Order: sequence, then C-alpha cells, then structure tokens
Amino acid sequence: MSRRILVVEDDVDTQDYLAKALREAGYTVEATASGREGLMHAISGGFDAMVLDRMLPDLDGLSLLRSVRAAGLQTPAILLTAMSAIDERVRGLRAGADDYMVKPFSFAELSARLETVMRRPAEARPEETRLACGDLELDLIARTASRGGRGIELLPREFQMLEYLMRRQGRVVTRTMLLEGVWDYRFDPRTNVIDVHISRLRRKIDAEGEPALIHTVRGSGYKLAAAS
Amino acid sequence: MFRNATMRLVAAHLVLVAVSTALVLGSLYWRIGGVIDTEQQAVVEAELRGLADDFSRGGTPALAAGIGLRLANPPDRDAIYLLVDQDGRRITGNLAHWPPTVAAGNGWSTLNLYRTDRAHPTEISALSVKLPNGERLLVGRDVAARAAFDRTLWRALLWALAAIVALSAATGWLLSRLVSGRIAEIDGAARAIMGGALDRRVALRGTRDEFDKLAGTLNAMLDRIETLVRDLRTVTDSLAHDLRSPLGRLVRHLEAAADEETVPELRQTRIEQALREAESVLATATALLDISRIDAGIGAEQFTAVDLGRLAADVAELYEAAAEERSLTLACDAAPGLVVHGHDQLLALALTNLVENALKHGPAGSAITVSARLDEGRPALVVADRGPGIPEADRARALGRFVRLDPARGSPGAGLGLALVAAVARMHGAEILLGDDGPGLRATLRFAPPPAGEGLSP
Repeated sequence: MSRRILVVEDDVDTQDYLAKALREAGYTVEATASGREGLMHAISGGFDAMVLDRMLPDLDGLSLLRSVRAAGLQTPAILLTAMSAIDERVRGLRAGADDYMVKPFSFAELSARLETVMRRPAEARPEETRLACGDLELDLIARTASRGGRGIELLPREFQMLEYLMRRQGRVVTRTMLLEGVWDYRFDPRTNVIDVHISRLRRKIDAEGEPALIHTVRGSGYKLAAAS
Repeated sequence: MFRNATMRLVAAHLVLVAVSTALVLGSLYWRIGGVIDTEQQAVVEAELRGLADDFSRGGTPALAAGIGLRLANPPDRDAIYLLVDQDGRRITGNLAHWPPTVAAGNGWSTLNLYRTDRAHPTEISALSVKLPNGERLLVGRDVAARAAFDRTLWRALLWALAAIVALSAATGWLLSRLVSGRIAEIDGAARAIMGGALDRRVALRGTRDEFDKLAGTLNAMLDRIETLVRDLRTVTDSLAHDLRSPLGRLVRHLEAAADEETVPELRQTRIEQALREAESVLATATALLDISRIDAGIGAEQFTAVDLGRLAADVAELYEAAAEERSLTLACDAAPGLVVHGHDQLLALALTNLVENALKHGPAGSAITVSARLDEGRPALVVADRGPGIPEADRARALGRFVRLDPARGSPGAGLGLALVAAVARMHGAEILLGDDGPGLRATLRFAPPPAGEGLSP
C-alpha cells in the first residue's frame, strides 16, 4: 500500500504542483486549502506525513500542528514558509514540526526531506555502534571507517558527513540537508562548498577500482548506496 | 477667530488677568475703605466724648462754647456739629437744622445734608445723642472725600480692565501672527514635500528659539526620510535591473528548450541553464529578504553567547576545501575566549559572505586569512585577502545594496554580500570596517567591547 501524505496549502498552484508531483512519486495524496479541514483530516489519522503551509487563511500551519500534537498524534510534519529559515525554523520546530522548508523550494528537496522525516523513528537507535553500507563500515565508538578491510583516515567533519549519509543510505540527501545536518548552518552558501567536501570524501571512500558508493543525484544532491 | 489656537490662548489669558485685577483692586477697595471708615468713626466718637465732658462740666453753655471753639479752630474741614434744643431749634453748629430722619441715640447714620458753609448738599456720616436736659447733639464727618476715593478706585479699575483688554488683544494679534507665520512656513514645506519636492526643507531664522529647534529636528527627519526613499528607489531600480537580465536569459533558455527542433541533449542543457538563472534570481530575493528582516530586528530574541573563535574555525573549515579547489590557501587564526552576545546563524552567514567575497577576489596562489581576535581591545572577526582591495573612496559605498564597484563584473547575486554583512553588523551594534591589507581587502567586523571581567579568559 502506498504511503499517504496530507498537503495543506492555500496557494492553488503550489497545491496542485505538490499533489501531482507526490502522486507521480508514488504517494497517495489528500490535499486541502483550509487549515480547519486539514486539522480534521490530520486528526482522523491514517497519514504517514503532513506538508503544512505556515500561512493559511483560517487556521495557520503552526496552530494546526500544535492541535495535532496536542491530540497525541506524532505524524511527521514538514512546515512550508515564505519567510526566512534562519529564525522561523526555531518557532516551527517548537510547534512540533519535524522539518522546515522555505518557499520556493525544489520538489527534490521536499521529497528527500519527506523520506527522512518518515524514517526518523526507525533510525533513532542510540545503542547502534556500527553502520554499514556494502563493504563500507563505520565504527561509531572508535570513530573509524574501513572499506573491505582497508582503513580510511577521516577528518572529524568527514566522519560526520559519512555518518549522516550512511544513516540515510539509499535516500537522496540534498546539499542544504548536509549543511544543516553536519555543520548546523541553516542558510544556503552561494558557492559549491558542499560539493567540494563530498568530492574529497568520495576520493577516500571510493578508491580506484572499487564500485562507487557515493552517487551524485542530478539536480538534487547525493545518495550513498551499495551497488545491488 | 477661535479656530486660531493663539487667539484662544490669549482670550483665556485675558479673562484670567481681568478677573485677577478686579479681585486685587476690589480687595484693596474693601480694605482701604474699611480702614478709613473705622478711623473716621473713632474720631467722631472721641469728639462726642469730649463734647459730653464739656456738657457735664458746664451744661449747655460750656457745650456750645466747645462746639464754637472747634468750629472756629477746626482740626479739619470735614467735622460736622449740631446742637439743638428740646424743640429742635439750632443752638449752634454748622448744620442748618436737625435732619428729620435721624432720631438721637440711634447710632450711625449716613445722610445727604446742607452744611451752613457749603452751597451743595454733602454726604455726612453722623452719630447723635440726646442730652439729659432734652437737647440733642449731632457729631459727624463729611464723607464726600471718601466717596471721591471710591470713585477714583472704580475709575482705576475700569481703566485697568480696558488697558488689559487692549494690551491682550494687541499681544494676541502679534503672537498669533508670529506663530502662524512660523507654522505656515513648516506647513508650506510639508505640502511642498508631499507634492514631490523631497529636497525642500523648513527655513531656519537663526533665532535658536523653539521654532528653529523644531525646524531643525524636522529637517533632520526629512534628511533621514529622503535617504531612505533614495535608498529604496535605488534598490527598486537595481532589483528591476538585476532581475531583468537573469529573467531574460531564463526566458531564452526555456524558449530554446520548448522549441520542437531542439535535440534532447541540448534541451536538457537549456533547462539546466534556465534552472541556474532561476536559482540566481532566488538567491538575490533571499539575500534582500534576509537584509530587510535583519534590519527589522527579527531574530534578535535568539541572541546567545557566541564564541567568535569557534565560529571562525567552523567557517574556515567549511570553506577550506573550496579555497583549495581555487588554488587558494585558507588559514584560520582563532583566539580563544572571544565571546559576544549575538545570533550564531546570522554571524556565521555574515562571515561566510566575507569569505565568499575573498574567494572571489583573491588571485590564484594567494592566501586568505580568517581570524577572530581583539582589535583595539574589542572582539572582532577579520577576513583578509590578497585581491585588488577596494579603493578608499568606494569603501563606504561598498556596504550599500546592489553596489557593484566594477560594473563589468556583474556576477549573479553580487552586490548584496557586503550589504548583508553590514545589516548583521547593525543588528549586533558592531562596526564593519573595510581596510587596506597592503595589498588586498581586510574586512573587520568589530563588536562592542566585552563587559569588564568577562569574555577574555578561555
């Protein structure tokens, strides 16, 4: 059964675009422009994730989300805002949002983040001490990495990047997500800083002759995946 | 007339002065008049006692002699005496006959009578007694002088009131002319400005009075508004210009992509080019929005203690790889313990803007230094490059929005980086200094000095 996404967005164009793109990506979509209607849908349950606009004509996204959380529902939610991520994010996360996106955004970014918020509970395993992807292994206690028995020297930040990618292996990770998850910066740098860091990491992980694990996803970001 | 505030004020003032003058003169009248009356009565009573003594010593003849003596040798010309017998016939005195309305022994009375020595009736205040032998004695004083005093006082009061009204009216007219004149000047300037003459100012008279002070303040406000409006106009013009070029390219790329004859590979390239143009427009809009929001003080509630050394090290680490790719070296010199109160994300954003600027301008093979250190005793973030730098004359201008010092170098999204840094600096009460690093640009973000005993120890 395909996963169900609730979209509450009052801008008709954005709503249509989101619903269409999400359906094409294989989700079942319920879309509404009304905050109150959205709240009823959300409370009646059965959704795997919600995409909520911050500003709605009747009930704004933050209040809607607070009501949903007050009703004891932990449905993952992504808030959309036309305002700046730098300070609005704090408010959104406080209201119980799992992630936050600034309009306009690319669908690739939204879809990557949706995948992440929907899998979040499964990855919250503090007792986990080792991560693996194909023959690549990461020891979270010793802070060491190896591939096929070959030890890999990683700088602390490279280790963090690799850990971030490995926890999301098989899924697309965007540059913004990396900058936020690894450096804790909530703004977009204009230069290709992330690409340069990835290519350095890639040189260490994917040695010559080895099948590539770090893949570039055109127009979106990167993906760590073992060749199947 | 009462639509004129000055006239209203003057009228109120006039009423107040008139009432207080009337009160002062009235109380003066009552007090002085009372004193005069009391003294006159005391004199009359003393005279009456003296004459009664004369009578008890020698009867009617002694009394008549006493009156005669007093009339011949008057202590003053206002004394009145009259002695009549049992039948009311005059024995002696300077009154023609006993006034019919007066009964002897009935205390004070005020009369209008003919004195034997005057042609006109005069006002007399008198006291009378009945002597034991049936004769009646009247002693009084001519109070015509007193009445004259009353009249003088009344006249003074009326004149004073008339003078006050006239003076107040004149002052009011002058004052209102003066005030309306100055206000009309300000009003005229305001109307001219509303009509579009933004450079119009209120004229100063050099009197250094309240009106000149007000005009000075208004002019300063107008200067500020004019700067803001000009700034806004520049931003709008630049924004329109800045968006036209990438949007134009965007349209051309999309048109080419939509063209049915375009081969698929080329179409893909065109779409990607269009995407990049759209991203550059978006970056411009985001930077502008960030600047406005920072200038509006949004995010100031999220200020925390920020370690500048750590911030510099993190940003340097983020950009180190990007610098190396451009054959530049990025060195970090972070002093420990430099803590400021600020917004960590915005400070990081400002520093990344300075570093990106340095990456853009530093020549290949040169070094970029990012440091957190004390600058003249104040915590500071410094980014230095070995590029061409900014000529001294252009440094202040470089911090404005959409300022391109080299018009030929119109890289997308440029012209806002330093403006954003300046906005972050304003929000933190910090200075942004662009200096010469001989050669190269040294950009310093200098914060307020740390409070004593804080922030200097690691």
